[in-house]
Amino acid sequence: MSAVELAALAPALALLGALINGLFGRALKEPLPGYLASATVGLGFLFSLFAFFALQSMEEPSVHIALWDYLKAGNFDLSLGFTIDTLSVTMMLIITGVGFLIHLYSIAYMHGDSGFSRYFSFLNLFVAAMLILVLADSFFLMFIGWEGVGVCSYLLISFWYTERANADAARKAFITNRVGDVGFLLAMFLTVFAFGTLNIHEVNELALAGAVSGGLITVIGLFYLLAATGKSAQLPLQVWLPDAMAGPTPVSALIHAATMVTAGVYLIARAGPLFALSPVASTWVAWIGALTAIIAAFAAFAQTDIKKILAFSTISQLGYMFVAVGAGAYWVGIFHVFTHAFFKALLFLGSGSVIHALGGEQDIRKMGGLHKHMKVTSFTSLIATLAIAGVPFFAGFFSKDAILAHVFNSELIGGSKYLLYVLLLVTAVMTAFYMFRWYFQIFRGEERLSEEARAHVHESPALMTVPLMILAFFSVAAGYFGLPEFAFPNVFSHWIERSVEAPVSFGHPSVGLEWFLILLSVAAAALGLGIGYWVYAMRKGEPARGDTGALRNLSASGAGFDALYRPLFIRSSEGLASGLSSLDSNVVNKGVSQGAGSVGLLANVVRWLQTGYARQYALFMFIGVAILALVVALNGGLS
Amino acid sequence: MTLAVILIPFLVALLVIFSPRGMAYALALLSTFATFICSLFLAGSSPLSRQWIPGFGSYFELSSVGAASVLIPVAALVMIPTVYYAGYKVVERTSGLLALLLAMQAGLNGIFLAKDLLLFYVFWEATLIPSVLMLGIWGREERRQAALKYLIYAVAGSFLMLISILAIKPLSGAVSYRITDLMATTPNLATATQIWLFIGMAIGMAVKLPLWPLHGWLIDFNEQNHVSGVADVAGTLYKVGGFGFFAWALPLLPAAAQSIGLLFLILSAITALYAALIATTQTHLKRFLAYTSLAHMGIVGVGVFGLNIAGLNGAVFLLAAQMLSTGGLFLISGMLYERKGDFDMTAYGGLSKSAPALAALSLFILFTSIGVPGLANFPGEFMSLMGAFQTYPWVAALATLSVIAAGVYGVNAYQRLFQGEQKEAIREIRSAEFLVLVPLLAGILWLGLFPSQSFEHIDEQSSLLTQQLEQVDATPVKLAGGN
Repeated sequence: MSAVELAALAPALALLGALINGLFGRALKEPLPGYLASATVGLGFLFSLFAFFALQSMEEPSVHIALWDYLKAGNFDLSLGFTIDTLSVTMMLIITGVGFLIHLYSIAYMHGDSGFSRYFSFLNLFVAAMLILVLADSFFLMFIGWEGVGVCSYLLISFWYTERANADAARKAFITNRVGDVGFLLAMFLTVFAFGTLNIHEVNELALAGAVSGGLITVIGLFYLLAATGKSAQLPLQVWLPDAMAGPTPVSALIHAATMVTAGVYLIARAGPLFALSPVASTWVAWIGALTAIIAAFAAFAQTDIKKILAFSTISQLGYMFVAVGAGAYWVGIFHVFTHAFFKALLFLGSGSVIHALGGEQDIRKMGGLHKHMKVTSFTSLIATLAIAGVPFFAGFFSKDAILAHVFNSELIGGSKYLLYVLLLVTAVMTAFYMFRWYFQIFRGEERLSEEARAHVHESPALMTVPLMILAFFSVAAGYFGLPEFAFPNVFSHWIERSVEAPVSFGHPSVGLEWFLILLSVAAAALGLGIGYWVYAMRKGEPARGDTGALRNLSASGAGFDALYRPLFIRSSEGLASGLSSLDSNVVNKGVSQGAGSVGLLANVVRWLQTGYARQYALFMFIGVAILALVVALNGGLS
Repeated sequence: MTLAVILIPFLVALLVIFSPRGMAYALALLSTFATFICSLFLAGSSPLSRQWIPGFGSYFELSSVGAASVLIPVAALVMIPTVYYAGYKVVERTSGLLALLLAMQAGLNGIFLAKDLLLFYVFWEATLIPSVLMLGIWGREERRQAALKYLIYAVAGSFLMLISILAIKPLSGAVSYRITDLMATTPNLATATQIWLFIGMAIGMAVKLPLWPLHGWLIDFNEQNHVSGVADVAGTLYKVGGFGFFAWALPLLPAAAQSIGLLFLILSAITALYAALIATTQTHLKRFLAYTSLAHMGIVGVGVFGLNIAGLNGAVFLLAAQMLSTGGLFLISGMLYERKGDFDMTAYGGLSKSAPALAALSLFILFTSIGVPGLANFPGEFMSLMGAFQTYPWVAALATLSVIAAGVYGVNAYQRLFQGEQKEAIREIRSAEFLVLVPLLAGILWLGLFPSQSFEHIDEQSSLLTQQLEQVDATPVKLAGGN
């Protein structure tokens, strides 16, 4: 088995960990399930790393590993296999690397929880499903992982299931994701219709060879987009992610920030050649992303929950990634997945450290001044804040700037790209602003802690702070893999483009304009942070008039989508279902016993039958047999 | 082997009726094991053919080629825990119930194996008797109305089916009722004739499938059956309507299938969506399960009437898979009822706390039921919908929407029973009960992860069917009155 093939064992390892903890976890003493789970993911990371280095030296950096023939019907063939190439290995490194740190962190975070081993079993199961998703060689196997991560997300959001709110949040996530999954199913049905296969490589090749009409490709692309909006919490299916914060905070970091929610971006990048052939579908992807980015950034303004701000920020950043892949810049989308995984995981783990320190407090209005109590958490969170705000020399700056530049130069999405560019630039200002608020309200300014929290506050143990420091390092370092191409070497684009060869071209403006665009993104970050400083540091807090403003309420409610969807989809479908239910029990279901009973003759028949069904049944059988016998006799007589 | 899977349960059933309880239990269990083992060797076992009613051209002909070698082993696997659970759960007249369960299995295997239309009909009807008796004798308070309703639907449907069956041989001029002889001649019937014959058969089969709006009996049937759920499991295995279409109505009357199949496809899609939506509102556990099961049957119908080989394979596979998932859920309903004496789901809540293993197992089977990939139902559901989509995309897309409703009813039920504040602690699953679920779990994983072998078997039969259907396309048959 070569070093590359070894990586195919990573999902199996995580699955094994999940099984052991799931079946025997309750017999194991507390830290053990945590270390076991961490070890399986850590080993997976090592294998991924081997594969990463092995691929470097390969002429054709793609290895296919056949698993087994799943099913066959007529000439339609479904076999399962993994594709290990530069794109999937990059995702594997993120999943297992960040995943490993979050597993370690969880050992301390979940200390003393009665569901300790159950937690690690679910977390390992998630890693297994997520690895299957990114390794899949076909849309079909990807869907298995896709639904698998959805199931794990459901299990982990409702981890503390005795609280009704948690169970409700999990239900909402599951159902919203199912809407996206129907998009995935229909996209696959159409893919089979158009291409006769679900193998991603074959579909891409056939599409590039012009085997399928552009109109059909657009429809297929739009259904895959629907799937992606579900998993990646984009408009119109973004509503589940803020509620998903009900899960334990490390889960939010791993599943609802660093990995699972990026699956939609990955799907579109994987099917890059398909999308590149449809400017219409790509434009849709970009617009969905841009609108989501700005709306979610707006919704982040008035949140007061330390995690909800980050949830909206995740939705917004995923919007950036969608714009990138919509513009045809597939490596850029993955690059932002990569950098975002570090600083967003760090922000969540930092929040977890704060929540842990304050004994469960999540309201940023009751925080402030924590810097002096928890220096490591504060410094690392500051680095992550600067990274996501797009401050130069931090990782988020490079990936966000790459997105902005590629949108500006894209030749795939037509004239609307300048408007998209402006939207993203405005969102960048907003991002810097609300992230300043997030950091400042928690760590700086005056202490607003409750008595209880003040007595409790402490820096977290090393098992939590060491992962924070590692993530902080990468929240800076990760950006240097993808420096602006026009002036610097960029290893990331060459690495990913060896796997995604899509025919998209980008304009090459003058070097001066490129520098000007960079200057604009720097200015956006500076402006946002500046406004934040003015509002929160100089004027000491939220604007007084804000508490009842309509805009503030709109922002606090997540831009009002829940209020819109409740009557539009939820109440209406509940109404339909209960209407059908009463129709069924009052009309259709009584069709024979009572509906027929109102007709005189049948009523008599029914009454007559009720005199003892067993005897009557015998009579029926007798009649049946008699007819049979009669026909036999007649037939026999004729022959 | 072919005959053994009918004879073993049938003969043991006769013995069991007259045995005392303990003896009956042991014999019945032994029989289910023996039948299961025999069923594993069905694929490749030699067919059987004897003259049966010579003057009438009817043969006692059995063959396991095709769907039978998938459906029979899975049904036999489900029978083991069902009989096991019935034996220690049903206290009154246990021997009788066990005998009826075995008799049902014998009849069921006959339905799947019969290669003579008349023989098929006899098995089809004979299996009704134990099913009605179980409901009528061991059912709950309103069992009589439920049994009567069931009977009226079934007998009325079967009567029309019988007329079509009796008419098809003389009309087509086939030399016997064997499927090979029929298939050689019946496609030549005029389309109008085929349509009439098809409608007759279809009503009988649609009642058993069941298809909206002929499903009225099913809900009461499940609600009123014995609280242990064992009779419901048997009822789930007996959902042979889809098989009837697949094995008989479609291949014998391909022109009719081509011309009015779309109507049945639409009814199936309606059934899937309608039942899944209603399932989201149900709070009575058994009525809930009845609607979920109906929703699966809708998808089976979609696969069958899509008339595409992928969908046909998927439909038969889903028939097998839902035996495991729906069967398992009915058995769990029995376990819950034993603990709380109630089928009202709103009376439960938070049971994960006191019974985490029961909760985990229930969730696993619920996830199977709503088509989570990697578990048994998914390949069947996927292929049914995907196949039908290739021929009628709009109708299949409509049916695919039921996937959302399935998500809703799945997590609704789990939340009602197992999440939230615990109202009252219940006893964790006992090892005996765990043993009941083990074969089902194994089957669910096997079908979910490695479905290829089953699909290969089913494909042998569906490819014959699609050939039959393609011949119609090649030589379009005009309506009788047309020229």
